[in-house]
Amino acid sequence: MSEVTYYFLGFAGIYVLMGWALYLPYRVGQLNFLIVACMAITAYFGGFAAREWGWPFIVILIIGILFGATIAFIFSLAIGDAPCFTVVIVGLTSVFIVKTVIENWRTLGGTIGFFHIPGPNNMLAIIYSLLFLVGLLVFRIDHSRWGRAASVVFIDRDVAVTLGVDIKKLGMFFQIISCSIAGMAGILDAFLVKSLSPEFFTFSMIGYLMCILFVGGYTTMWGVILSAFFLQGIPLMFPSNIASWRLVIYGALLVIIILLRPEGLITRKMLWSIKIKSPRYITN
Amino acid sequence: MEIFIAQLISGLALGSIYVLLVTGFNLMLLVAKIIQFAYPQIVVVSMYTCWWVLKLTGNKLIIILAGVSVSIILSLLSEPIFRKISSIEGVDINASFIASMGIAMIMMDIMSHSINYGFPVAFSPDWVGGNIFGYGLITVSKGQLFALLGGIIAVLIFFFLLYHTNQGRFFRAIAENRFAACLVGIPIIKTSIFSYLIVGILGGFSAILFSMLIGSASPWLGEFVALKMLAVSIVAGLGNLQGGLVCGLLLGIIEAMAIGYFSGSWSNVIAFAVMLIVVLMKPGGLFGIKI
Repeated sequence: MSEVTYYFLGFAGIYVLMGWALYLPYRVGQLNFLIVACMAITAYFGGFAAREWGWPFIVILIIGILFGATIAFIFSLAIGDAPCFTVVIVGLTSVFIVKTVIENWRTLGGTIGFFHIPGPNNMLAIIYSLLFLVGLLVFRIDHSRWGRAASVVFIDRDVAVTLGVDIKKLGMFFQIISCSIAGMAGILDAFLVKSLSPEFFTFSMIGYLMCILFVGGYTTMWGVILSAFFLQGIPLMFPSNIASWRLVIYGALLVIIILLRPEGLITRKMLWSIKIKSPRYITN
Repeated sequence: MEIFIAQLISGLALGSIYVLLVTGFNLMLLVAKIIQFAYPQIVVVSMYTCWWVLKLTGNKLIIILAGVSVSIILSLLSEPIFRKISSIEGVDINASFIASMGIAMIMMDIMSHSINYGFPVAFSPDWVGGNIFGYGLITVSKGQLFALLGGIIAVLIFFFLLYHTNQGRFFRAIAENRFAACLVGIPIIKTSIFSYLIVGILGGFSAILFSMLIGSASPWLGEFVALKMLAVSIVAGLGNLQGGLVCGLLLGIIEAMAIGYFSGSWSNVIAFAVMLIVVLMKPGGLFGIKI
């Protein structure tokens, strides 16, 4: 396999994970950018633990997932049932705080970056095995009591409360799962690239993740898969002078999709029409 | 004590620009019912325009006119996009945030590719100006004075417009209840377009004052300012104009104090951390949400 294909598949897999991490809390109407901060923290932790302490990959992966879950649990105590934009600002400020701390922490390489991370060679197999497991988890959540409750919260919070849905507990649950997935993605990213830079975790990445979720479709888990592969492939599809404008392409895609197809490319109605039952398509 | 006073002056100057930005942002939220995350990027594009015109002509009046015009044009250009989004059935205010994020990404990438090879631009000392007052460590620069006075005057004019004119009454009526405002014959679309015009003017002045205060601009400035603007708005309470005034000034002072007492690179972290703590403790904002 060529290096280009290897990294394309690797990154696409990681971004599918991050897309699902953004998709889950959006089921209750929360845009949780804390996932990017969690990804940065666990990526640097994973890289440092592997290079400096020689910890095995599996231990680092488990701790990374737990790290993500713990961070989310602490934050969700305050913002479990917060409005969308409060969650947005908590996520955005966290990303910039984490980025600045990393840039000023010499042990982590500062602005130069952190290099030579040792790790397993079969990363693609690991990424796609985990992707399959997380996909099953997201599918199960979507089709569970929690998933149905989330659908109601998304449509009308007041109705959800009347029906006895504990919005705070539900929000906490989705935030914890989402940050755990982001923690996992951070570890996988560190071991795939074998180097890290704080410049990776910026506004551009948040915009990219938004693009993955909203272009693919935020009402089902399948849209993320389509758009992660498509958007990751854009730099490969176009000549380098056009591909370097990829932020313009992603931004334009976001605007066009919101204008023409607000639910994204893959919608619940589309799945219903091809007989794939989607939990969010509510009928009487 | 001298450091404290010097940083207080600096903070008030910076804070008054944040107040202008947050006021424009809240006006969009209240009247047009959108989250205009790309607004700071419009301000940065106006700053770049000022820098370009400064290089070409050096005439201050032309620079001011160019900066404000570009901001108005960009603000008005975004109006049809947001109006179309608002008219789509089933979409909420989140859609405008997502679209404005897309617009912000486009503007940021164009600036980082096309202007000055992506490198930050510096305004000439003639534009920024030197100190006009000095006593020990306490100094007041021309940029600080203009930012402070300009900010106060712009906000006063804005509030006069809001509370003492028919147009302001229309704004407040639409903010209170769009449907009822429509029933009593208030022209919703015309008023909404007028709000974009006002926001464009505020953005243009913010750009001019910002360029005089900090003396430079970069493509990444917009994302920092956008984050601060959104954070101030949420800390104050979304759509709360009076709350935005207090919190905008407070953010400027906190940031200036952090710069004065800690290393420069940590100042943003401290400002963000303070806002993060406030948001975590009071997710609904300090002064209450008004939408």
